[in-house]
Amino acid sequence: MRNRHELALAIVVAAEVAVFAVVAPNFATGANAAEIVRLAVEVGLLALALTPVIVSGGIDLSCGALLGLSAITLGALWRDGGWPMPLAAAAALGVGLLGGALNAWLIAYRGLPALMVTLGSLSLFRGLAEGLTGAVDNYTGLPPSFLALGQGYLAGIPRQTPVLLLVAAGVAVLLHRATRGRAYYAIGWNAEAARHAGVKVANRLAELYLLSGLAAGLAAVIYVAHLGQAKADAGTGYELTAITAVVLGGAAITGGVGTIGGTILGLLAMVVLQNGLRLAALPAELAGILTGVLLMGALALGKAPGVRSPQSAVRSPQSELEMRNTQLAVLCGVILLGAGIVATSNWWLVRSLRPAALAPATTGATTPTARRVVIGMMPKAKGDPYFVSCRKGAEEAAAALGVDLIWDGPTELDPAKQNEVVEAWITRGIDVVAVSVENQAAISTVLRKARSRGIKVLTWDADSEPDARDFLVNQATPQGIGGTLADEAARLLGGAGEFAIVTASLSAANQNEWIKHIRARLASAHPKVTLAVIRPSDGDRDRAFAETQTILKVYPKVRVVMGIAAPAVPGIAEAVKQSGRTDVKVTGLSLPNMCKPYVHAGIISSIVLWNTGDLGYLTVVAGHALARGQLTRGATSIDAGRLGSIAIDKDQILLGKPFVFTRENIDDFDF
Amino acid sequence: MGENGAGKSTLVRILTGATSPDGGTVVIGGHTVERFAPLEARRLGVVAIHQHPALFPDLSVAENLALGAEPGGVFARVDWPARRARAREALARVGADIDVDRDASSLSLPEQQLVEMARALSVRARLLILDEPTASLTPREVDRLFDLLKDLRASGVAVIYISHRLEELPRLADRVTVLRDGRTVATEAMAAVDAPSLITLMVGREVASVFPKREVAIGVPVLEVEGLSSREAGVSDISLIVGRGEIVGLAGLVGAGRTELARVLFGLAARDSGSVRVAGREIHPRSPEQAIAAGIAYLPEDRRRHGVVLDLPVSSNLTLASLALVSRHGLLDRAAERATATRLVDALSVKTASLDTPVRQLSGGNQQKVALGRWLVRTPDLLILDEPTQGVDVGAKAEIHRLVGDLAARGMGVLLISSELLEVMGMSDRILVMRHGRLVAEFNRATSDAESVMAAAFGRAPAA
Amino acid sequence: MRPVRLALPALLALLALLAVLALLAPSFFAPDNLRDVVISNALVQIIAVGMTMVILTGQVDVAVGATAGVCAVLSATLAREGVPPVLAAMVATLAGGSIGLVSGVLVARLRLPSIVVTLALLVILRDGLRWATDGAWVGDLPVSFQWFGLGQGGGQTLLIGLTVAVIVAGAWFLRTTPLGRAVYATGSDAESAQLLGLRPDRVVMASFAACGLLTGLAAALNASRFAEVPGAITAGIEMKVIAAVVVGGTSITGGRGSIGGTVIGVALLGTIGTGLTFLGVSAYWERALQGAIILAAILYETVRRRRA
Repeated sequence: MRNRHELALAIVVAAEVAVFAVVAPNFATGANAAEIVRLAVEVGLLALALTPVIVSGGIDLSCGALLGLSAITLGALWRDGGWPMPLAAAAALGVGLLGGALNAWLIAYRGLPALMVTLGSLSLFRGLAEGLTGAVDNYTGLPPSFLALGQGYLAGIPRQTPVLLLVAAGVAVLLHRATRGRAYYAIGWNAEAARHAGVKVANRLAELYLLSGLAAGLAAVIYVAHLGQAKADAGTGYELTAITAVVLGGAAITGGVGTIGGTILGLLAMVVLQNGLRLAALPAELAGILTGVLLMGALALGKAPGVRSPQSAVRSPQSELEMRNTQLAVLCGVILLGAGIVATSNWWLVRSLRPAALAPATTGATTPTARRVVIGMMPKAKGDPYFVSCRKGAEEAAAALGVDLIWDGPTELDPAKQNEVVEAWITRGIDVVAVSVENQAAISTVLRKARSRGIKVLTWDADSEPDARDFLVNQATPQGIGGTLADEAARLLGGAGEFAIVTASLSAANQNEWIKHIRARLASAHPKVTLAVIRPSDGDRDRAFAETQTILKVYPKVRVVMGIAAPAVPGIAEAVKQSGRTDVKVTGLSLPNMCKPYVHAGIISSIVLWNTGDLGYLTVVAGHALARGQLTRGATSIDAGRLGSIAIDKDQILLGKPFVFTRENIDDFDF
Repeated sequence: MGENGAGKSTLVRILTGATSPDGGTVVIGGHTVERFAPLEARRLGVVAIHQHPALFPDLSVAENLALGAEPGGVFARVDWPARRARAREALARVGADIDVDRDASSLSLPEQQLVEMARALSVRARLLILDEPTASLTPREVDRLFDLLKDLRASGVAVIYISHRLEELPRLADRVTVLRDGRTVATEAMAAVDAPSLITLMVGREVASVFPKREVAIGVPVLEVEGLSSREAGVSDISLIVGRGEIVGLAGLVGAGRTELARVLFGLAARDSGSVRVAGREIHPRSPEQAIAAGIAYLPEDRRRHGVVLDLPVSSNLTLASLALVSRHGLLDRAAERATATRLVDALSVKTASLDTPVRQLSGGNQQKVALGRWLVRTPDLLILDEPTQGVDVGAKAEIHRLVGDLAARGMGVLLISSELLEVMGMSDRILVMRHGRLVAEFNRATSDAESVMAAAFGRAPAA
Repeated sequence: MRPVRLALPALLALLALLAVLALLAPSFFAPDNLRDVVISNALVQIIAVGMTMVILTGQVDVAVGATAGVCAVLSATLAREGVPPVLAAMVATLAGGSIGLVSGVLVARLRLPSIVVTLALLVILRDGLRWATDGAWVGDLPVSFQWFGLGQGGGQTLLIGLTVAVIVAGAWFLRTTPLGRAVYATGSDAESAQLLGLRPDRVVMASFAACGLLTGLAAALNASRFAEVPGAITAGIEMKVIAAVVVGGTSITGGRGSIGGTVIGVALLGTIGTGLTFLGVSAYWERALQGAIILAAILYETVRRRRA
């Protein structure tokens, strides 16, 4: 019965592999297989430990947050505590165990519902991580020997693979071979009956949550080694991905059903889908949509054992078998349909890109001029309006130059996803990679790997380590941005007074860097201007609105509110507008189009930004020139089409100074 | 009437609209039923009291009584004071004194049954169906129920009364219909049949001996309890001894503390004072697992909730309490597990398609055999049986009785809790009677008679 | 009364927080601030009323955040295309209701576990919207979009009025209508409810649809507070809503709870953030404190139950 589900999943995975082997360049290669595994390790560890938890009828929503807490523990003890790395790693495991112990105590020994407990401890763990680091600390600069664990290879396979395999084997034995495993299933179906049979229910449940915590700790160590950084937001949302993998793998969320083999297949189905779509340069959103559909299909297929309806006892095994066959057929149909959509919607792209894919990736230096250049351009987050506006300029340049532009990146700020996309591009074999870097330490190793394969590497918007790329397309340095913002605040305050900042999330790296430079500039040039308070907006306009309302009341002396995340500024402006406080001015870093109404209404005095469309345009132009060999180290300028000649300072292509938009000039811009 | 699995409960489900029939017609009050839905059934005046009380644990007694009994409609309003008043009235009719604002989850089983009864009787029914309503009622409450039913009958309500208790039927029924294997085998005037012929109809064969008590030499004490009290379980000052090979019956009314005593012995409820020795060793079990290690086995009263894990296969259920015996170094030995399960399925003649069949698909009697079988993987010193034949058909019942006799013969001590007086008296060497959490009387097999045991259970002097 | 008792820990925590604020930052209680706090929490509050119904039936809907995002974008897009804003809001409300109904049908008819169904729906809606809008904001809205053209004062009154109306109507519905009581019965024991002719399938579908409707309404109302609408989904609304409902004493397994408790839960979790700013506490510990309060509230409930 369960095998049937796993068989169906195996067919799904095989179908995915077959489709992508045709439509996605370099998909069916050993190197790509290795990368797929590497990407699956952290979530895989969580999903593996979660499988027996779900089999026992429980759930652990806190494992992603616990990963974050363990990660910053490791970073803090190593950097600030001066602990040797192995000891710090052990401490991270310890924190995982401790967090698991809290869940275990509340769920197993106090009898509280797991969903509620881990919902609470999710907030608690993430909140502790934010509180302990002030949400700002980002632990990087980890020793190479440690990073090798997450980035290196062992006989051609990623170093973390054996850890994953060991844990998979261990959990499989625990669940399917050990006597305890039998107890987990019994508890999942009926805990009271298990207790009457002498099963130590509380102890069994407790050890499962400890195991889940330990897995979170282990995943944290690998995450840090993989990305070279530890921050409070590590592993955000991993719990949902892990749960999806487990349920896709056939586990019943109500308990009693589920296998490790199923979980691994479920995980594979998701990861292969993502990787394949990425290699095929299809929208990553499709992965989410298809995963959702798959999940529903898997549910329909696996529902009979998952739901204990009174009728199920009556139904004869024969009709059940027939129903399952129908379901299997429906599921296969859905998969084939999905595969068909992927294949056809991709057809034009395949045709246009095929020559690029067939050319050996290692000959980048002597690219024949006859074919089109393929540039992969990555924002920090695809949905961010700032990057959406950059994309317009990039596409304009691509059309003008006859470049195939692949625009892809994380859907939300996530350094791990950035690595994933670059890896996919390396595998695919494109000419130029251009990245707006979320985290230097995390991505530099991958970028170096790309360069070693002959791919030209640009960074734009935010830089990697200098040796990991050819050029930086520099719109403005953090110092320049911070300085300009501080100067604006001082100007609006008339040289003295209090102002407040509404930032993105408390742990956003860019914003924290800017704040650092704002403070420095204030100290050196505007001693009478004070920064009264910093509040987070999580990049959410509505939250920025509410925070500003509060700031205005609690800090009545604040005369300027500055937003340093694009969606925050209109939120601030609306709050100031609704408060009727005409004595408060608004400034910040945002997009002209978002702020136009408020600028015209005189609520936003000014916004600071460069021309984002030009930034995208320049990046593609530079990438094209690099690929054609027209741009090499030592050049002092580049001919950038409609932008004219752009100066180059050593390895930095300079777009120009940040621009201050005001009521007078804002209508000249449309982005 | 009919054996378990004969189709009685399914028939009730069809009549109340919970299950749809494949064919045939049902005529209620001259009206042919076309759509089988719960609402339709209620509209036609069909009301059922199901075997397991189906109250809403989170809702108050008043609301439980009101649900489904009030006029519906999207724009209807709930009138709470009227609800409470109606609830009190309905409870008074069945002679129950229960606060209508209590949550149903805080009610005892008999109280739940009474509320269920009050609910069914407060609806204007044309056809009232009762499925084993008296399982947990005291004789006094049964009497009251029967009076009520007779009143209803007199006022023109038809009553279908399903029971396993042969002695109840002549007091109530006009006609009796026997089902077997989902078919009607006979419908007779009640006066025309007697108990043995009914049993014959149900089983389709003669039952030679219902209680094959075997004479076994009683050995050294296997269970010695002295001065045991537990506030949590509501039992106090219990002292008793069970010898090897001895079957000790524990009689009493529902709520007298028999199951609670078993739960204390099995480590499911805390003990405040007193001592328990099993096979001569003092034990303090605080969990079933410790009690099992000490040599105690417990067949719980509620088979489906506690006795077996319905969705696990037969083999897993049989080995669940003895996993250590079918494993090495904490890993399951599948071959050993199968061998053990096969041996038990044969020994207990469990009727199952395979070892991998979920227990849910077995009949009640076979489920109970599996629940019992799990304790026979190892040989416990003491076997506590709590209502071992409740809801079990006549054939399986006899098999379980024979099995218990065999186990006692092999040297186990058996503590037998049963509400069926004949079963206790037929099976036991000695009979202890509990009342209000205390042991109040002891009878020998030779000297006991039903009237005296009953009288002790009711706290009255035996009738002369 | 029982509903109050269930929400007692949340109520105590809320009172304690308000007492501290009264002592240390009395300006928190300025009418302006209270109004702003109420409006900021209106989105979560309205959805929470619907979520209470879903959780009372023993189910859960984790797709409300994604639904709200889709509905907000829908109402704004319609308004931009010239549909009168009030009509656009109604269409968005109905769209929310349809999404809720889809979950309800999948859960009740196909008997799929709600947490997984709505998780899948969440992923589909979130990524689908992102695909459709590419994260771009819906701007260039007619002036009448903001506050439905009522102006700030009128708009705020409308928003608060509707929020209160939803709370009162929800509480009244659950307390005194047969369908409302059927919600409790279904969550308490669906099989018995079936036997009583209460049609638990329909009750579950209705509660999901109601939750979706309220989510659509809340999203449209919330969008009307601003002059533009973001094109992506605000992450984590569903967790805030579920946490508020649960902290308010509604049992996650269904059958127990009340709208009154949910209001207390929303008030508690919604006040912490603003309250901490008024107290001058760093924002960094806000989330940890929220987690601790959730855990304390559910722990308190079992302590109480054990003593009883």
